[in-house]
Amino acid sequence: MKRSGMCHFPLAVIAIVCLTPGSAHGQTTKAAANSRPAAKKWTAPRTPWGAPDLQGIWDFATITPMERPTDLAGKAVLTDQEAAEFEKTTLERRNPDRRDGGAAADVGRAYNYVWWDYGTRVIGTRRSSLIVDPPDGKIPPLTPEGRKRGEARAALLRGPAAGPEDRNLWERCILGGNAGPPMTPGAYNNNVQLFQTPESVVLLNEMINDARIVPLDGRPHLASNVRQWRGDSRGRWEGNTLVVDTTNFRDPTNFRGASSSLHVVERFTRVDAGTLLYEFTIDDPKTWTRPWSAAIPMKKTEGPIYEYACHEGNYGMVNLLAGARAEEKAAEEAAKKDPR
Amino acid sequence: MRTIRCDRVAAIGLLLVVAAAPLAAHHAFAAEFDARKPVRLEGTVTKMEWINPHAWIHIDVKRPDGKTEQWMIEGGTPNTLLRRGFTKRSVLPGTVIVVDGYQAKDGSTKANGRDLTFPDGRKLFLGSSGTGAPKDGRDVTESKR
Amino acid sequence: MIAIARVAVAAALLVAVKPAACQAPAYKAPRTADGKPNLNGIWQVLGSAHWDIEGHAARPGPVVALGAVGAVPAGLGVVEDGPIPYQPWAAAKKKENAENWLTADPEIKCYLPGVPRATYLPFPFQIVQTPKSILMTYEFASASRIINTDNAVTESPIDTWMGHSRGRWEGETLVVDVTSFNGQTWLDRAGNFHSDSLRVVERYTAIGANALRYEVTLEDPTVFTRPWKLSMPLYRRLDRNAQLLEFKCVEFVEELVYGHLRKKAGK
Repeated sequence: MKRSGMCHFPLAVIAIVCLTPGSAHGQTTKAAANSRPAAKKWTAPRTPWGAPDLQGIWDFATITPMERPTDLAGKAVLTDQEAAEFEKTTLERRNPDRRDGGAAADVGRAYNYVWWDYGTRVIGTRRSSLIVDPPDGKIPPLTPEGRKRGEARAALLRGPAAGPEDRNLWERCILGGNAGPPMTPGAYNNNVQLFQTPESVVLLNEMINDARIVPLDGRPHLASNVRQWRGDSRGRWEGNTLVVDTTNFRDPTNFRGASSSLHVVERFTRVDAGTLLYEFTIDDPKTWTRPWSAAIPMKKTEGPIYEYACHEGNYGMVNLLAGARAEEKAAEEAAKKDPR
Repeated sequence: MRTIRCDRVAAIGLLLVVAAAPLAAHHAFAAEFDARKPVRLEGTVTKMEWINPHAWIHIDVKRPDGKTEQWMIEGGTPNTLLRRGFTKRSVLPGTVIVVDGYQAKDGSTKANGRDLTFPDGRKLFLGSSGTGAPKDGRDVTESKR
Repeated sequence: MIAIARVAVAAALLVAVKPAACQAPAYKAPRTADGKPNLNGIWQVLGSAHWDIEGHAARPGPVVALGAVGAVPAGLGVVEDGPIPYQPWAAAKKKENAENWLTADPEIKCYLPGVPRATYLPFPFQIVQTPKSILMTYEFASASRIINTDNAVTESPIDTWMGHSRGRWEGETLVVDVTSFNGQTWLDRAGNFHSDSLRVVERYTAIGANALRYEVTLEDPTVFTRPWKLSMPLYRRLDRNAQLLEFKCVEFVEELVYGHLRKKAGK
């Protein structure tokens, strides 16, 4: 379901993104932040108590992939023309209304184009990957433990599922697939509403109407034995940037096979009226050989965010378990008829 | 020979589909629905469940033997449709639709709505996107409020 | 002069000792930056309204093995002018709900609790108040809802579990109008219920630094013979570093809901 698709932003909004392209190769997230042009007349809005105002509903859909495609190796930033070409071919290739590819591909494409909403545009900086560090735009190598864990998990997901715990957290309707932390673009509903009070910042992700409350008062993280699916977040301001530190994850995590030692640092910076720059750094020495970072400019959107009640209507879990049991039964009966 | 070419296209199609989902995410469509059991149904909507994670359209299908079968057809997240301006009144009971899909693996009368159309061939949720060409659906949503 | 002063003082004293049954609240909450009563914080209801919103004596629970832990505590009741004015068919349905509680109550399956039930579940919730939007997020099942106070969206395109909330201020009180329910939530563990015609009007009023008065009017012409009201205090959670924790209960009900589809051991 994590396929790219369409995002419905007016062109004008895309043009406003003011991250400097071109000099982006090899930048860390800090460097990306410093490359913002200072010449813009726009003044960052402030809340009445003087904090940068990051509030609103933000859409993080994009067809820019997390990792730089192999055929774009060495090319950190696309030209305007290359970006347009990339958008065109990606959308054509991924159009779920295509009926070529046979039955298995058909089932995988699931349903008509209108149900999907994963973006029509690359990000405004035209970087070829969301990953900004390492410089090659690729997720760093896995540790041996990370590889083992990933393979075991992949084997389990190939099915058939013995029970719900064999499936992903979003198929179980425990966590949204794109909500994180960190937040990563998914197939649809890539929306988060941000609320601010003097004491906290709250991130309400549409999937699965999950409100992540981030206290700003400097209190310590929860005790290390108190683990949560979404971890435990603490926030602080660094200049105009909100820095959110999240630890205390449970096992299994929702993020690319990371371990419960996962440590996520997110940075939120309002770069212009319509753009919230979202950067995250992943640090999990049990899974990856080095930390890695990505940057996603989020676009202001009108919303609203709709309710996403998931578990209440999760016929899919019933269907996939019933399907697995039916196939096992059929195999048993076939074996009985023809025991070799 | 044509058949061999089709196999190759199928394989490439599968690769493209896999390549198009770069994240390790794997959804359960293949676990729920059987690629070996394609169905094509024409039925009357009795109700539509505008629910997550998937919307479900309930239809009554008249079989050749005169019996009526009740089918449940899976769609995507309704939130996407709501943003395109559709509401719970957009698919009313009594509407006749055609479903091109694949039946549930457990043999029950459920199918994924791979392609949903009206009997005249128009896609069910036309919106501003026509037959799938990328357009700005948000304008439609805003103008309908 | 002194006589007038004495009369003035007497008049002032008279006003001051007027019974508190008058409408104006005595307490004025501190203000947010946009001049509204500040309702930010973590709140929780005490008592046993979550078991039964009507007055009730203690009674045994349905799970023998849970003993006293699974029994139902007594409650004064939070329904004003009780009992709940059910239509005859609905009174019978409530009884049926109560008898089938273990299999019928949506709370047991970790379904979203709806409004007003979410408020008085035995879990804290947090009010996050900003000028145009007030977020209420509940520890139970991470339920949440957004109350828009700018009237931007007047109608919900579909029916939902937590309804569609529109808020406005009336002096010291936040008034929230909730409609577009899907009719699948209950009002408590005693089988009290409603339909998708339910309309709820909530009133949140600070009565002190650490308590709110919560009043709810329920109207459902399909189920009740007239609108009716419930009310209770909301207490501020004063724990050091109080925060909502996770109660993502889907995990705890998977066996209950999907256990019959689990692969049998030894196969």
